Amino acid sequence: MPQEKLYATPQAAVADIQNGSTILVAGFAGYGFAEGLLAALLEVGSNDLTLIYRAGPYAEVESGSLPAVENLVSNGQVSKLISPMPYEPGSGGVIEQQWQAGQLDIEIVPQGVLVERLRAGGAGIGGVFLPTAVGTRFETGKERRNFSDGEAVLELPLKADYAFIRVAAADTLGNAIYQGSSRNWAPIMAMAARVTIAEADRIVEPGELDPEAIISPGIFVNRIVAAR
Amino acid sequence: MVEGKERLPREVVAMRVAKELPDGGFVNLGLGIPTLVSNFIPEGGVVFYHSESGVLNCGPLAEEEEQDIDLINAGGQFLQRVPGMAFFSTVDGFAMIRGGHVDVTVLGAHQVSATGDLANWMLPERGVGNIGGAMDLAAGAKQVIVAMEHTDRQDGAKIVQECTYPITGKGCVSLIVTDLAVMQPTPDGLVLREVAPGWTMEEVQELTAATLIPAPDLKEYEL
Amino acid sequence: MPQKLDELTMALRAASELRQGQVVAVGSGLPAKIAEILPAQAPVQLLSDGGALGYGPSQPDAGAGVCGPDGRPVALESGGSVVGMVDWAAMLRGGHVDVAVVQPARVTPSGDLLGWTTAATPGLFAPGRTVDLAAGGGTVIAMLPHTGSDGSANIVAESSPVADGRSCVNLIITDIAVIRVENGALVLEEVAPGWSYDEVAALTGAPLTPADDLKEISPDLEALKTARHSKVFPDGPSAIGDMPDGATVMIDGFGGPGGMAHYLLVTLRDQGTRGLTIISNTIGIARIVNFGTPAGKLAIDHSVIVDNGQVVKAIASYPVSPSMSRPSSFELAYRRGEVELELVPQGTLAERLRAGGAGIYAFYTPTGAGTLIAEGKESRVIDGKEYILEHGLKADYCLIRGHKADTLGNVVYKGTSRNFNAVMAPSAAITVVEVDEVVEPGELDPELIVTPGVYVDRIVIRPEAFSAYE
Repeated sequence: MPQEKLYATPQAAVADIQNGSTILVAGFAGYGFAEGLLAALLEVGSNDLTLIYRAGPYAEVESGSLPAVENLVSNGQVSKLISPMPYEPGSGGVIEQQWQAGQLDIEIVPQGVLVERLRAGGAGIGGVFLPTAVGTRFETGKERRNFSDGEAVLELPLKADYAFIRVAAADTLGNAIYQGSSRNWAPIMAMAARVTIAEADRIVEPGELDPEAIISPGIFVNRIVAAR
Repeated sequence: MVEGKERLPREVVAMRVAKELPDGGFVNLGLGIPTLVSNFIPEGGVVFYHSESGVLNCGPLAEEEEQDIDLINAGGQFLQRVPGMAFFSTVDGFAMIRGGHVDVTVLGAHQVSATGDLANWMLPERGVGNIGGAMDLAAGAKQVIVAMEHTDRQDGAKIVQECTYPITGKGCVSLIVTDLAVMQPTPDGLVLREVAPGWTMEEVQELTAATLIPAPDLKEYEL
Repeated sequence: MPQKLDELTMALRAASELRQGQVVAVGSGLPAKIAEILPAQAPVQLLSDGGALGYGPSQPDAGAGVCGPDGRPVALESGGSVVGMVDWAAMLRGGHVDVAVVQPARVTPSGDLLGWTTAATPGLFAPGRTVDLAAGGGTVIAMLPHTGSDGSANIVAESSPVADGRSCVNLIITDIAVIRVENGALVLEEVAPGWSYDEVAALTGAPLTPADDLKEISPDLEALKTARHSKVFPDGPSAIGDMPDGATVMIDGFGGPGGMAHYLLVTLRDQGTRGLTIISNTIGIARIVNFGTPAGKLAIDHSVIVDNGQVVKAIASYPVSPSMSRPSSFELAYRRGEVELELVPQGTLAERLRAGGAGIYAFYTPTGAGTLIAEGKESRVIDGKEYILEHGLKADYCLIRGHKADTLGNVVYKGTSRNFNAVMAPSAAITVVEVDEVVEPGELDPELIVTPGVYVDRIVIRPEAFSAYE
């Protein structure tokens, strides 16, 4: 039998994450974060992690960053963040403190560029010429070229070891659907990771999801765990 | 003499290829012998089929009375609707291929070289050809297996030292399974791993335009 | 000092710039307030990087699970759809967003801007969405308080070295003024009630020229009180009758009759437009070898316009019949030297089409490296692997085949007939969709919409009596 995609607990699903891994954390503004997987990662304790994610804004909560990511940072497990916005201004907390103290590396990438670099990584594209960063600090050190449409900057693909995504439902083959804003980064991050772990609100049998409705086909989802 | 000597049926070639498919893997099958491979998945094994027509987890072909023009594979054959299917656009279908998410593709070929160059999109005498998804599969799938007849109908060699036809991909083929032999292209040349029952290495060599290097454990075709 | 405008009045003034049918991407802060003051079912669609296209005011119990750019839950308007981050970015870069509204901390006369989050994260300079909005909007409106909390000017003469966008701002709306950015200079067009040019200029850190007809700010949403225009055209001829000779046209289907806009193909044949360049996966093989066609039927396909002498060039991946002895119309025309052919690998074709619609000017792909396809193209080794450079593809028209559409152009497909249709729709100046059925906005599940109406210009219903076969 093929490797079973269903995992009994979030801890089991993240247990093999090695020190030094790069993890894509899907979610936007409190929607679509795999909170259970992030909490399990805190228990597993892998360190020297690079997290790629978009934090705020959090209109409904005090904190402008994601508590689960803050916990990992507090716990000394994170060495680098790649993000367009790792915390909402004025609410950086431990992320801002560690960064200011030189304990945490942060690479800022505009979000449209970041998502396209992830797509390139997931789709086997060697690089994309995008107009977005032209004239800004984000073109520094990159090749700039003139096309018939205008100037563009070469952006290189980005891949990761793991992706943590939150899905509304997954079938046991890994086919997944989302609810509303939870879709956001998830389908692209699922493509760009070697191992994508889905925390699912509902796990169903193959055939229960409308094949027209599936956003992340099972080829992109390697592990499934039930959301608490 | 090899002339007229019996070769393995297409089904056996397909059966031999089926052994190579990773359990639980994602597989894209080309037309011809490759299509037959799906009939020979070992008992208890599961393989998920990807088609660049825009569907994952394809099942069997549809009977004539249930043919649906909105449900085809990349060869234009009608598919049955089965549980677990997912539809997607062509750009996502090829992201799966190029992005290394498809484990194995099984393709036919006009020529394969000793170092694994693949030529399967154009016969020079026609002057025009169809690339379709072949170049993306050659460049993107984690493993490219060629399944074909060892020679053309006139016993002309299809396995060559260097391709003379326009190539589909360079050094991309990792295994060649024919009705006479199983061969492994390597940077150092073509390694002969298995020969069909009743055939000798010398006889296979006679029908092969690349130099065969016998594997240390060269054996009979293993099903 | 006279009173300054409140946030909602500023939002009303910004909304006064919007026009029927526009797609408006909004950032967090003041721009997010526009959703609060738009008339219900206004004929514009707001785009949030929260993943909502076509949404209304924030509602704590909205229930759809979608949020605005500031993270507040919102409800989708009828005809709205859920989009992912990659779609949001593609809509901006690909020129599908008419207006982007951002809140900068600083703006300059040259139209440079520094996003508020960038300014508020000193040293780190995290722009979030600002760089994408600044680069991607057709028109960029900056909404910001005229001065900082310490009274310093937010409109300044010199740009910051960390600017999030250069020469991008077209209009500045503050709590005391409306200022147009024109050729590197600021023109004061409107002032808040009670404010004079001198008072505004005194709080502005850059030269400010009063407009000849300087007015008082007075929001006007009349243009947004009209009904949303339907994109449904009465028939094929009215939908593509304006196609000029020499046009580049995307047409698809994967090869078989599924997903092919047969009615529009026949319309195109009958109207006789000539000199066409066709971008398509296949070009007329269903008819000749029954690819994807039920036995015994003769499908209408690209051959009908090839036979009629309308095609001069094809850009395709599977242009000829798989059977040498049964050549298609296109292959015969090719052998006669009547048509040109640019052969593109299928995945590269899909990626080039996506690039064209998503504002990606070029990309490196491993497909075709070391083959005939690579001839004349840049080759480059990246991370030890060989790639070739391919460019985005665009067209004048795109004829796609959907299953259902709503009147705003949101489309769903059937099964494998989605294939190239969904990829092509964003890449043409005018996209025309042929569907079986048109429904009202709100009748399609917003989670299921594959091609949002942003990408669709015209809708035609395939006549009931029309057959895809001859």
